[in-house]
Formats: sequence, structure tokens, C-alpha cells
Amino acid sequence: MKGTLVMRGRTLRRTVLAASIATVTALVATGCGGSDSDSAGGGGKELNIYAWAGEIPETVVKRFEKETGIKVTLDTFDSNETMTAKLSSGSAAYDLIEPSQYSVQQLIGQQLIQPLDHSRIKGLDNLAEKFRDPSYDKGNKYSIPWIWGTTGFAYNDKCIPSATSWKTLFDEKYKGKVYMLDNMLAAYIAGLQVTGSRATSTDEGEIKKATEALTDQKKILAGYNSTNYPQLLSTGQACAAEAWSGTAMAKVVAANPNVHYVIPEEGGSIWTDGLSIPKGAKNTDSAYQFINYLLKPEIAAMATDDGGSASANAKARDFIKDKKTLENPAIYASDEAIAKADFLLDPGKAMKHFQQGWTKVKAS
Amino acid sequence: MTTALLAPAGLTVVGLVLVPLLLVVRNSFASADSYGGIQGGFTLANYQDLLDPIYLKVFGYSLGMAGLNTMVCLVLGYVVSYYLASRPPQRQMLLLLLIILPFWTDFLVRTFAWINLLSPGGPVNSLTDAIGFTDGPSQWIPSQGASFIGLVYAFLPTAIFPIYASLRGVDNSLGEAARDLGCGWWRVHSRVLLPIARPGMLAAALLTFIPTLGVFVIPVLLGGGRDQLVGNLIVTLYTEFRNQPMGAAASVVLLLLMVASMAVFGLAARRLRRKTA
Amino acid sequence: MKHALDTVTAWLARGVIAFLYIPIIVVVVLSFNDSEITYKWDGFSTRWYGKLADNTELLAALQVSAEVALISATLATACGLLAAMGMARLRGKGKAIFSGGLFLPLIIPEIVLGVALLSVFGAMSADLGMTTLVLGHLVVTLPYAALIVLGAYNALDSSLPEAATDLGCNAWQAFRRVTLPLLRQPLLAAWLLCFTISFGNIVMSTFTNGVGSTTLPLRVYSMLKGGLTPEINALGTLLVLFTLLIILGVGLRQMRRVLVGADRS
Repeated sequence: MKGTLVMRGRTLRRTVLAASIATVTALVATGCGGSDSDSAGGGGKELNIYAWAGEIPETVVKRFEKETGIKVTLDTFDSNETMTAKLSSGSAAYDLIEPSQYSVQQLIGQQLIQPLDHSRIKGLDNLAEKFRDPSYDKGNKYSIPWIWGTTGFAYNDKCIPSATSWKTLFDEKYKGKVYMLDNMLAAYIAGLQVTGSRATSTDEGEIKKATEALTDQKKILAGYNSTNYPQLLSTGQACAAEAWSGTAMAKVVAANPNVHYVIPEEGGSIWTDGLSIPKGAKNTDSAYQFINYLLKPEIAAMATDDGGSASANAKARDFIKDKKTLENPAIYASDEAIAKADFLLDPGKAMKHFQQGWTKVKAS
Repeated sequence: MTTALLAPAGLTVVGLVLVPLLLVVRNSFASADSYGGIQGGFTLANYQDLLDPIYLKVFGYSLGMAGLNTMVCLVLGYVVSYYLASRPPQRQMLLLLLIILPFWTDFLVRTFAWINLLSPGGPVNSLTDAIGFTDGPSQWIPSQGASFIGLVYAFLPTAIFPIYASLRGVDNSLGEAARDLGCGWWRVHSRVLLPIARPGMLAAALLTFIPTLGVFVIPVLLGGGRDQLVGNLIVTLYTEFRNQPMGAAASVVLLLLMVASMAVFGLAARRLRRKTA
Repeated sequence: MKHALDTVTAWLARGVIAFLYIPIIVVVVLSFNDSEITYKWDGFSTRWYGKLADNTELLAALQVSAEVALISATLATACGLLAAMGMARLRGKGKAIFSGGLFLPLIIPEIVLGVALLSVFGAMSADLGMTTLVLGHLVVTLPYAALIVLGAYNALDSSLPEAATDLGCNAWQAFRRVTLPLLRQPLLAAWLLCFTISFGNIVMSTFTNGVGSTTLPLRVYSMLKGGLTPEINALGTLLVLFTLLIILGVGLRQMRRVLVGADRS
């Protein structure tokens, strides 16, 4: 009797073990199938890229690998801060990174990226005017803008007939139906501009005023959300929400005629994610090759067609297949709309005022 | 021999936990440069800043939330473990797999599923409408309640596994014997089974309570980011605020709080054991 | 005779297990949703499964996750078992200090430990990649493995291996024939929990992964900014259904074996 029990136990263990091994091997096998096609080129030439997810579409990477035979490894990050932490450890072996504009300033300050050799870059004049010689990186010395977008807000017209100002997000009428981005710098764009300051302000008094406005605003907020706010706007759970332009917002604007994305009359803000080469990068040849490849208008157009983002490349417009995207304000904002929008800059020493302020807002 | 047995875990803890921990303690006394790096020096400013009542509120709220989550997970965990342990041995492993399986889908995917479920007009809302509990669209999310459901969901397996591991050895006949001797259902559990499950319950409590304090995605996605847990605070300090030294100080405080509460916990458990013995 | 409360708790337990599957049902349903916006039903479609097959980035991330979880769960469980056996021989202060040490990674918030580990790896100028990722996950999972195995090992009747030794088994045989089989279930429970924790880990992975070792949760987390696509629901569905099939397969075979066994006796 006892013997059969032990036997049963042993075979059970084996079957469960075998089952889990089978599961895992199957997983590994499906994964292998995937990565095999990645290494189509080979030839020892490599390029390791660290970028925002989805901003350099897979189609772009595949085509580059085919054309050049360089094997590209693309890893993704979820925030500039994560990427900076990795770079500053000195242990991340990336050849090309894609920081946002304010992060470029920090990376320069921490000496983590190298000046670009402009004699090796072709096609810089394809970029739109506002991305050549930008305020955060004079002369594009350290970064080449790749995609761009705006920070504004969106509303559902079933609830709010029309809106043009940040004041909508501070209006008690919409109590419990308003969301703000769960991001300090983004929240302060609204806070600063609604109190009459510029988004790039580093003045202690102005930041204090903005903090008070944001603290008062918290009482009417349903919550902070920087993930599924487009969904909340579309279903009407949110009347208005501070928003970033880009893929997620654009999809909802295109699918639901009630949802509108606007850049507030107070100015709003623009952001751009560009390409930089870290200090100590091993495959700089490949990195320059990739930068030049991305500067080609027909490739830049793929950022919009396959990635759903706005390209910093002015000549790309002619190559974009889906012309509707050019009209979608949640992808390409019109020139008038962004006339007063500044690039959001690194607050530098004013950071501590923002930190104190935002902590107060969050804990109130 | 003993050394050889202890070496793998010991080396891991010393090399990958203790050394980094010392670094954290050191950094908590340093000051931050404006780029988010760490400047050397020695200052107590990071700890002084933490004395602000704002942070006390965050610590208090976190402790409450973690305590509540731990209690619910322990009760449900015990019930499920008892059920598991009273099944035939062959079935136990299958049920265990069945319990862990949902957690193989990505955490965010599951969280978004909860968001869909709880949104106004969603399935949960329709159900509560149907039974007359609510009338029309209701705001279930974002809320502290939604956040709490998310926490319980995330930590249930962590509570079930250790309790089951200590209960599974129990011979079914033990409970039966107690029953035959005239013990009621409650007495069988409180006098026979719970004492056996105690090490597992303790482990489950620790594995639920402590990590709950560090959670930061659930309060943001399901709770609307209005009420912060310590985890949110530390993550914000480390990333958005670029103030690693203060984040390190907050971690050291949290760590001391943990050690203190574990000591109290341990003392209480020992006294309890002495009383029952 | 079964007590009424036994029936109640059994149903409560089944209810809890069902509760764990509530969001999974949503994931499965949405994976067949034609709509590109994940929350709106737009008719039945299997197109996301096709898209998933083309998404080499996601599949490569899945492979990384599976490998890391497999290795780190095995390492953590092995370390936990060895530590439990070693600690049984310790007395007094040494034991307290060692068990305190095992708890340490649990008490430090993961992001703090992650950032600190990253600086340590930096100081050793170790390249970030699979190895650092596995080490990071080992740290995260070790306390779970150690606690589960430790609890079960201490509950073990130490006279059994001793009896085996008395009967002429050497230490290895006593371990292999007596201790290990007795610990089968807790070891498997520990391994499963560690595998699952590692497979879903975001924070530690963020700071310890490197070139070519982006895990599935990291990939999904970084996709949040652009909105999650339904391919992820398809992937989640496949993972669960596939494993469910295996479990059911194993379950049926066992059932048959039990029946056959009953026939024979």
C-alpha cells in the first residue's frame, strides 16, 4: 500500500516536472522563432539601441538590417529617468539612445553623451525649422530630433461643449470628472500657465503660485492618470484630462468624434525625443549610419505610418501614406496651435522647488 | 558541511543585498546634485526633510493599507490552504498550479482587465445594477476600494503558498481524531490546525505586509494616484525628483520601521506561544 | 461525517480560486475583439493572434522572461533548500543573524535595491545583461523560496532521515531517498511561486537588464505610453490556455492512473 503511494507520488512529480519543462521549452522555442529572424544580417556588425517603446517601429529596424547587414538590438525604456540611471552606472553598453529634450540637457550636464561629429551626418536640413538649433541643444550638438509631440488637454464634447483654456481643468463644474497627468513636470505646465507664468519658469514665487493652484485643483480631480486617460475620455468617465499627444490619444481622437485634443491658448508645451550617442559607445560607425538612415524622409515617414508619432522631419510629410494623420491634432499639431508652446526644459537648480511643491500637492 | 550548505544563500545576501544596502545607507547621508547624481559629503538634511508631517501621513496610510491587506489575505489564504490540504495529494499540485496560473499573464494586462471590469457600465456595474445594489453608472474606479481589490488580488498567492506548505503535511486523520474526541469545528481549527499552520501564517504575513508597502503601480492605476503608499513616494524621489539621497533616507526609515515592527511582532508571538503552552 | 462549515469553507475556497480567474476571462474575451481600442467590443476576430506571431520584439521578450524565470527560480529554490538544511544545524545567534539576512531583500523596497545593485554592478564594471538580470531576480525571489522551504523543513520529523542513517544510508542517500521526497510539495510550491514572481517582475528588471535582455513585463510597461495593443491580450490568453491544457492533460492521465490503480487493488 505504502509502496504504491510512493510510486504514485514519484510519477506525479515526474509528470508535473515534465509538464513544466515542456511549457518552458515551448515558450523558449516560440521566442527562438522570433529572434532567429532578427539576426538575418549577421556579419559581426552590431548596433545596440535604447529607446522609447514603439517610437522606432520594427519595420524601420528590419529595413535597416536588410540594407546594411548590421544586427540591431532594440531595448525599450519607460522613462527618461530609468534610462539615465542605466547610463550613469556605466554598465549599459548602448550605442544609440533616444532621450527627451530635457533629458538631453541632464545627460550633457552629467557628461554621459558625446558631441556629434556633424561631418558624418547627412540630411540634417530635412528637419523642420523648430528642431534645428533648438533651445535645449544649440546647433544640434548632442542630439538629432526624431519624433515630437505636445502637452495639452483633451475633452469630451458630450460633457463640455468647447474648451480652449487650461481653466477648464480647474473648473469646479466638472468636479470628479477631471484627470491630470501623473507626472510632476507635466502637471506644472498647466499649473504655471494657468497662473500666468511660462512653462519654463524657474522662479520660486511663480512655482509657489502654481503649487497653490494645483493643490486647490486636487479637490475636483477624479485622479492622476498618465496611462489610460484616452480611454476614460472616450467612455465619458472623464470630461477633460491633461494629455500628451501621440499614439494612444490619436487613436481615440480618430475613432471618437466627441473627443477633442487641444493645445491650450495659454501656450501648452512641445516635447521631442531625439537620437544621441552615449560616451564610450562601441559601435559609433553603425550609430552614425542609423542616424543618417533615420534622417531620410521616406524612413522618417514610417515613424508616422507605422509608429503613429509625428516626425521631426519636414520632408517626411510627402512620404506619409495615411494623409489623415497629418490632420490629426493629437499627432501633428498645427503651426498656429504651437506658436506659443515652449520646449519644456530641465529645471536645474529649481528642481527642489518643484519637488517640495509636488510633494505638497500629492499629500494634500 | 554547514558552511557549504549556507554558502550559496549567504553569498547572495552579502554580495547582492548587504553591500548595496550599505551603499544606500551611505547615500542617505549624501546630497544630490541638480542632475540627479550623488554628491559626496555628509548631511542629515535628508532625514530632517522626512520629518515633515506630509511624509508621516504617507507612512501612516501605507501601514494601514498593508495591515488590512495582510489580514484579508491571511484569512482567505488559510481557507484556501485548508481546502487544498484536504484534497487527495495528486489533486493538490494541480490546484496549486491552477492558483498560480492567472499570474502568468502580465501584471499590467491583468490590472487593465480590472479597470475594464470596474468601469461604469462595465460587468461589475451591470451586476450590481441587476441585483439592485446600484442604479445606473457608478464610479467604482478610481477609488481606494478598487486599489484594495487590486492589492488583495496581487498578494493572494503569496499568502496561500506558505500557509499551504506548512499545512499540507497534516494528516487528515488528525482533524478527524480531534473531532471524534468531541472537538467542535472551531476548536479543531483553533487548537489543532492553526497552531500547525502558524509558521506558514507568519511567513505569509511577512511576505504580504512588507511588499505591500513597496507597491506603486496599483495605487496609481486603480486608486487614481491620489493617495500615495511609501512605494510611490520612494519611486518618485528616485525618478521624477532626481533626489536619490532623500529616497535612500526614506528607505532607511522604512527599513528601521520594518525591523521594529518585526521585533514587536516576534515578541508578541513568543508571549502568545508561552500562554498557550 | 462532514461538518457544515467544511462545506462552506470549501465553497469559499473555490470562490477565491474563481476570483483569481475573473480578469483572465476579460483578457481572453478581449483577445478576440476586432477593435483596436482594447475596451470596446467591435466583433469577433482572431487578427491579434496573427499580429502577435509577427511581433518579434514581444516574442523575444517572452523568451528572455521565460529563461530568466526558469534559471532564477531554480537557483532560488536550491539556495533556499540548502540554507534550510544548513540553518537546522545552526544554534542561537548565528541562526537568528542568518535568518534575518534572508529577510533583508524583502525589507528593502525593490527600487532602492535595484538602483543600489546597479551601482554595484557599475563599480565592478560588469556589463548589464542576462547574468545581472538573473542575479537581480535571485535576490528578489530568494526570501520567498527560503521562507517556504524553511517552514516545511522545520516541520519535518528529523527522526526520519536519522532513522535512514541508522539503517545504513549515507548522508546523500538519506537526503535523496528520505528528505527530498518528503519536501517534494513545498519545493515545487516554492519553485512555482519564484518562477511566477520572476516572470512578472518589473522593478528589479528595470535596473538590472541590459543589451538584448528586455523582459516581457518591461516591454509591456514601456508600451503604456503609446497605449497597450490587443496583441498583449492574445499573448496572455495563449500563455494561460497552453498551461491549462497541460494541467488538464496531466490531470486526466492521473485520474486514469488512479482508476487503474483502484482496479488492481
